[in-house]
Amino acid sequence: MNARRFIKTIPMKLYLILLGVILFAFFSNDFGLVDVQKTAIILAAGIDKTEDGYTLSSQIAVPKGSDRTTGGTSSVEIETEGKTVSDCITMLYTKTGWVPKLIFCNLLLLGEETAKDDVFGGLNYFLRNEYMSDSCFLAVCEGKAGEVLSSQSAIDDASSLAITKLFSDAAKKSGKVMPNTLKEFSVSYFGVSKSGYLPYVRMSDQEGAQEAGGNESSGGSGGQSKPQKIYTASETAIFYEGKMTGLLPPEETLAFALLKGEVFAGTFNATDKNKPVTLTVLEDDGSVSLEAKTSPKVKLSLSLTVRLCCRGVSAPIDDVSTDEVSEEVLRSAEQTLQGYMRKLWDDCAQAECDLFGLRRDLYRSSLKRYSELKDVVPNGVEAEIETRVQTKS
Amino acid sequence: MNKISPRQLYFFLACVMPVGKLVILPSLLAQYAKNDLLFPMLISYLIQAGVVFAVLLAMRKGESLYALLSNTFGKVASIVILVILSIFYLYAGLLPLLEQRLFVQSVFYDTLPSLAAFAPFFVFSIYLCAKPLGSQGRVWDILGPLSVAGLAGVLILSVASTDPGALLPVGGGGFKGALKAFTVATGWFFDGAILLMLLGRVDYKKGTAWKGTLFYLAGGLGVLAFLAVFYAVFQDMAAGQYFAIAKTSKYFSGITVLGRIDYVFIYMLSLVMAFWCTVPLQAGIDCYLQPFGRHRHLATILSVAVNAVFLVLLYLLDNRFGEVMRFITGPSFWIFPAFCILLPPFSLLLRRNHERT
Repeated sequence: MNARRFIKTIPMKLYLILLGVILFAFFSNDFGLVDVQKTAIILAAGIDKTEDGYTLSSQIAVPKGSDRTTGGTSSVEIETEGKTVSDCITMLYTKTGWVPKLIFCNLLLLGEETAKDDVFGGLNYFLRNEYMSDSCFLAVCEGKAGEVLSSQSAIDDASSLAITKLFSDAAKKSGKVMPNTLKEFSVSYFGVSKSGYLPYVRMSDQEGAQEAGGNESSGGSGGQSKPQKIYTASETAIFYEGKMTGLLPPEETLAFALLKGEVFAGTFNATDKNKPVTLTVLEDDGSVSLEAKTSPKVKLSLSLTVRLCCRGVSAPIDDVSTDEVSEEVLRSAEQTLQGYMRKLWDDCAQAECDLFGLRRDLYRSSLKRYSELKDVVPNGVEAEIETRVQTKS
Repeated sequence: MNKISPRQLYFFLACVMPVGKLVILPSLLAQYAKNDLLFPMLISYLIQAGVVFAVLLAMRKGESLYALLSNTFGKVASIVILVILSIFYLYAGLLPLLEQRLFVQSVFYDTLPSLAAFAPFFVFSIYLCAKPLGSQGRVWDILGPLSVAGLAGVLILSVASTDPGALLPVGGGGFKGALKAFTVATGWFFDGAILLMLLGRVDYKKGTAWKGTLFYLAGGLGVLAFLAVFYAVFQDMAAGQYFAIAKTSKYFSGITVLGRIDYVFIYMLSLVMAFWCTVPLQAGIDCYLQPFGRHRHLATILSVAVNAVFLVLLYLLDNRFGEVMRFITGPSFWIFPAFCILLPPFSLLLRRNHERT
């Protein structure tokens, strides 16, 4: 009797096992397998606007083989043209036969000329693409993005990897660079502020470096010698309605980072008896607020706790052990930072860039006041700057 | 057949029903209502909670929908009503299935997979649909905790990336936008109508109706919490963020080191969604099984037939999700309020067997 019942239930059991196997396969994502021979794993993409459309420079990771001594990531750069970025991606497939895979794309680089027009013409494809992460870094570069991506980095195998190193968390905390992602930039663009910022990448020859002739990592160079490059991103491009309308120098980038309250262990210079000293930021409490009840006024407020990092001149050993910061240094630091902040505010107002999201804050607090003041913020608003620098003790 | 216990029913109401509202609906609400997206959802939930309460009260009668209908209207009329209801269930089941397919293809694959990748789902669906909806109690016992853990995990990983101020100002989306969002949301609110097929299948205890309604509202609270987090993460970009449940947690800082650990929670919710997708189909098939008897082969034949039709529909409607959605939530949106808001409370008026005699 039991045996008969068991035999009767076998089809159902087999069905359930099959069901389990199918469900497992259903959620498996093909077990995450990627055929690297057929796939272009795009590490970074550079977008340059042309007269007819766009040039897309894709930096594609190439398997390096099993030689353990080389390590790192080799790459090849492929340039494609089209009326839209999607065209360029299709062209990449046509040219190489590789299926482009954007899931590992960690950097989108915009050429300078591209950034002067509405950049979202070029970014639209990446925003819509479900198979790409919008938390990738976004940056503008001097000149053409294609040239920067195809350059030979002095510090890494692939230029994009060297550039993204500039956007690390540690670099951000130093206040020397203000990295941004595609998502954050898009949020500010589509919001009522219509403003945003991106790090501005410059490329320069590494002084005294040997040329990287025939370096195997420059797969696309065909063995030709290339000067090695280093990259900096201490300037910040500011945007209004998707167009780059200004460029903040390193000092204003620092002031911006300080006002956002994101700096820890970053340094800046002040003077002590007309001699340079460097101060380290231990605590950063920055804020920007809009007083809109009567006549609109912006308050840029910064309160820093610092300590002496080093002096530009020799000092007695007691100076090191006591670690005291004189009032003169603190006042000098305040004046320096006030100057940076004033310049930052003026540059943003001139560029019509609502860098601190004041219009957004106004919109959130009062729809009525927003409709009254949206056209005068930020360029028609007085700024009051308050700076306080103190030591831990 | 074992009856569904109140606990299993509560799991279904609070944990299984909400998952279908977490995929594409959040971005649609954001598209129309902008930062006011919570209000159309809240109103939809409150209205539907009233409907759920009415149907749960009707469960006190302890008889199936067919029995109640035939006691009130006679056999022929009740069969006609059930056939119409069945057509509605199958119609309502199209959107969740299309959603689920797009969700799986977009979230679990790095490049667009072939259509065949989704086909195995129907093997699973055939199995479930051959069983009556009322026999799913034990499944809901398992899905309930999975759903809670999945949603809680996603919310916890997402909350650090939010800007809660993005939900201000109240009224920013405008009344018209909120109204449009409400009409669109009706396409996802067929919960009360589904409960009709559980009439006579629940072991009704005193207080089940109001407790069930509270559990349903608790599920709604989870959905509202997710919507708030969703909009606070994506702000003015929210309208373009389909597959919301798989997106909010990807900005968790630990992901750069650990990889997409949020997928653990997304998989949990996907599993619940896979079951939820089959519920309207099961209900549609049950409409025929109630009057014609639960013959084993009839259930299997109907299940295979319905799933085959849906498989073909999915192939035919490939890349036409937008058009289908616009049709369902646009010119024919009234179908949902008619079947899901107006119709179910009438179950309270249906007569029991002894009332007739």
